[in-house]
This record gives sequence, structure tokens and C-alpha cells, in this order.
Amino acid sequence: MNEQHIASAYDRDLEQIQTLVTKMGGLVEEAILKGSEALPGRDVDLAETVRAGDKAVDALELSINEACQRVIALRAPVSSDLRTILTVLRLSASLERLGDYAKNIAKRTIVLAESGRMDATNGALRRMSREVQEMLNDTLDAFVRRDATLAEAVRQRDLDVDQMYNALFRELLTFMMEDPRNITVCMHLHFVAKNTERMGDLVTNMAEQVIYLVTGEMPDDVRPKADDTAYVSKPE
Amino acid sequence: MFDQGLAERKTAMTETKISARNVQVFYGETHAIKDVNVEIADKTVTAFIGPSGCGKSTFLRCINRMNDTIDICRVEGDIHLDGEDIYDARVDPVQLRAKVGMVFQKPNPFPKSIYDNVAYGPRIHGLARSKADLDEIVEKALRRAALWDEVKDRLTAPGTGLSGGQQQRLCIARAVATAPEVLLMDEPCSALDPIATAQVEELIDELRARYSVVIVTHSMQQAARVSQKTAFFHLGNLVEFDDTDKIFTNPEDPRTESYISGRIG
Repeated sequence: MNEQHIASAYDRDLEQIQTLVTKMGGLVEEAILKGSEALPGRDVDLAETVRAGDKAVDALELSINEACQRVIALRAPVSSDLRTILTVLRLSASLERLGDYAKNIAKRTIVLAESGRMDATNGALRRMSREVQEMLNDTLDAFVRRDATLAEAVRQRDLDVDQMYNALFRELLTFMMEDPRNITVCMHLHFVAKNTERMGDLVTNMAEQVIYLVTGEMPDDVRPKADDTAYVSKPE
Repeated sequence: MFDQGLAERKTAMTETKISARNVQVFYGETHAIKDVNVEIADKTVTAFIGPSGCGKSTFLRCINRMNDTIDICRVEGDIHLDGEDIYDARVDPVQLRAKVGMVFQKPNPFPKSIYDNVAYGPRIHGLARSKADLDEIVEKALRRAALWDEVKDRLTAPGTGLSGGQQQRLCIARAVATAPEVLLMDEPCSALDPIATAQVEELIDELRARYSVVIVTHSMQQAARVSQKTAFFHLGNLVEFDDTDKIFTNPEDPRTESYISGRIG
């Protein structure tokens, strides 16, 4: 297939839209990274930056929606061009949600700064958000390079995030049972973990969307899942 | 669960109406159609798309032996209509063309009245036994072409006095008046405005209940709108032939992808 459209402005439009998504992805990655740095030391200033930065992410989503709407109306994209537009729309919606989760974690960091210390989970939380950030990075790379293999690898990695979340869930439950004064802090930390786990799910959806973009088909095989906390009634 | 889905585009009938095997067409030394194999289903709209000079019109004209009229044109291979070889020596091309109607790019009504335009075919083929018979055939054909209501009060007016869209629908009425089984359309909307185009497209969709319709079009959006099957021709080859929604969402061949998405190819 030829890469170039006869109408070169069409190519520029498509390129522009994809640049906006990668830019949005970059901002969200940064928010996740900064959020994970702010949490262990309860760095309020850094958390505040993450919180304020979400506005830019939301604004980018709007620009992307408008640009996509224009291309659909004016160019009537078909086949891989249509899949590009559909994918961009879904990726930007997911990125917007990821941004919201990062913002929520930042807010909790600010609250946690005023509560008692609880450092036992710092390492695990940082590993978890680092993993999600790397998955997002690979997904965006897979999107830019149209690499379905890389996207499939990301898709399989959500299992690790789920397992980390499971372990954290149980650990936090134990702390709360040991000393009820820990409950407030642990509840906040649990939401941080849960948000990060949800981020992993969203990134997995994004990876699936990239597979659709490249192959024209959504992967329909069952993905391994490990989040079984919905069935937990007491810590082991 | 999915009862709110898109209008059904699949055809219930998958019976083959026209079957082409190893068709080659030469214009003198030029090899215009290279080894085309295709099965065209009954009660289905099949669209032929491709760049200018790719052979789609040439192939269309093979189906009712219009190429016979061109001296230097040579057709090889088999084209079967309902299992019968249309290039068999015993087949009368005139009878064949009554069964396989054709509508051209530019509306070309005869310089006669609206009535006579439609009545011409049934007359020469002796399809009507009486004036009443003929009246009925004309009315039915004009109704089928969605033109009756607009012309019923002026059937004696000249066909050339109608608007472009009406003229094209008159030509469609003329083509369906001989009760054909297949309707070939060579860019039937290229001289029409968007409203007339929409009317003709709506008509094509209605005609598919009765006929096997084959349409050549330069408008890919038109192919996407009206057809159930799409064939992509390129440099005399049939590159890809598949369900229309497959061709426009996820074609197999990179050349098809290049063409339908407006890339050079």
C-alpha cells in the first residue's frame, strides 16, 4: 500500500491528529510518573503540579475530538484511515480517564501528607505505577509504529499489575485489622492502588485498540486476569 | 440483542446469475482484461470500481456482448448467464440484450415521446399483444423506475424535455420494460446532481429485489452506498472481489486499500 494520499492535506490532517494523541499520551505518562514520585515522600508541591496538569490533558482531548470530527465530515475516511480515526478517538478517551486517575492519586497524596506515615506499601505502589507507565509507553510506541506484536505483549502484562494490586489489597487489609487508626491512611492508599489497577485495565484496552488498528480485528481471545479481590472476605 | 444494528446488507440469494471464467479481452494488440474470474449473484447489486482504463466498463460490456460492435475487440474465456454460454454461436445478441439491460453514463432518451421511449423495447421484442398490454407494460416500467407520478400526465411529451435525473430514470424504465434479468449500469449517476443521484440510488436498491444489478462507478462512496458486493479492477486485473463492507473496512489487497483510501496506486 502507498503511504501517501493524493490529497497531501489529508495526510497532514491525519498526522496532526496522531501527533496530538502522542502528545496527550506524553502528558499522561508524565502525570503517572510524577504521581508515583510524589506519593512516597508525600511531596505536596509535585502532587499539586500533577493535579493542575490535568487541565491540559482535557483540553487536548477536546482538540482531538474536533479534529476527528472535521476529518470524518470532510474526508469520509475508509479502511485503515477510518480505523486510525476511530482508534485515535478511543485512545484519547482512555487517556483522559488515565489523566483523571493520576489527578485523583495526586489529590490523595496531598491528603496523605497530613496523615500519619505508612511507608510499608511505598515500594509496591511505586512498582505498580511504574509498570503501568511503561505499559502506556509501549502502547503509544505500538500505536506510532503500528506494531501489533508489541501491543499484544502489553496486553498480557496487565496480569502483573493485577497481581501487584491483589498483594497490596491483602497487605492493607492486614494493617487495618492490626490497628484501626491505620484505616484512613490505608483506605486512601487502597484507592491509590485501585486507581493504578484501573489504569492498567485502560492501558490494556488501548493496546487492544492498537491491535484493531493494525489488523482490522479486535482480539477476542480471553485475556488472563488475576484481580480476585472481589471474592475476598477476610485476609489470609 | 443486536436487533438495533445496521440495515441488513447481506443478500438472502447467493445463487449465481453470471459466471465469468478466464475472461480475456483484447483491443487489437492491447490486452484490456486479464484472466478475470467472477461469480455475480442474483438479486444483488455488484459494483465495479477502479481507476480510469482499468477495464471495468470493458468487462461490463462483455456481459451483454456490447463489445461485439467493436471490430478490433476480441473476447476469450466463458461468460455464463444462468449456466448458458452467452458467447455460444446459437445465442442471438439481440435476445441476450433484452435479458441483460443496460443504462449508460449520459441519459440518452430517444427523440420520441416518453411513452414511446419505454414502449420501444417491448414493441420490437413483441412482448405486448395489444395496446392495453403495452400501456400496462409502460406504466409498470415507469413505476418501477420511480418516474410514473412525475410523467403520467404528459406521456406524449418528448423524453428529451425531462430533467437530467428524470431522463436517466426514463432510461432505466426503458431498460426494465423488456423484463430483463440483469441490469448493467455504466456510471448511471455521473451526469446527475446529488438529489437525482440519491433517487437513482434508491431505485437501484429497489431494483435489486428483482434483478441482478451490476454497476460501474467512479464514486467509491456510491459503490459503498448501493452495492452488496464490490469488485476492484486495476490494470485489467480483477484485484479483489468481496462483500462491500469488507472492501471498505478491511480489504485484503494493499492495492485495494490504496485505491479506496485515495492514495496513489
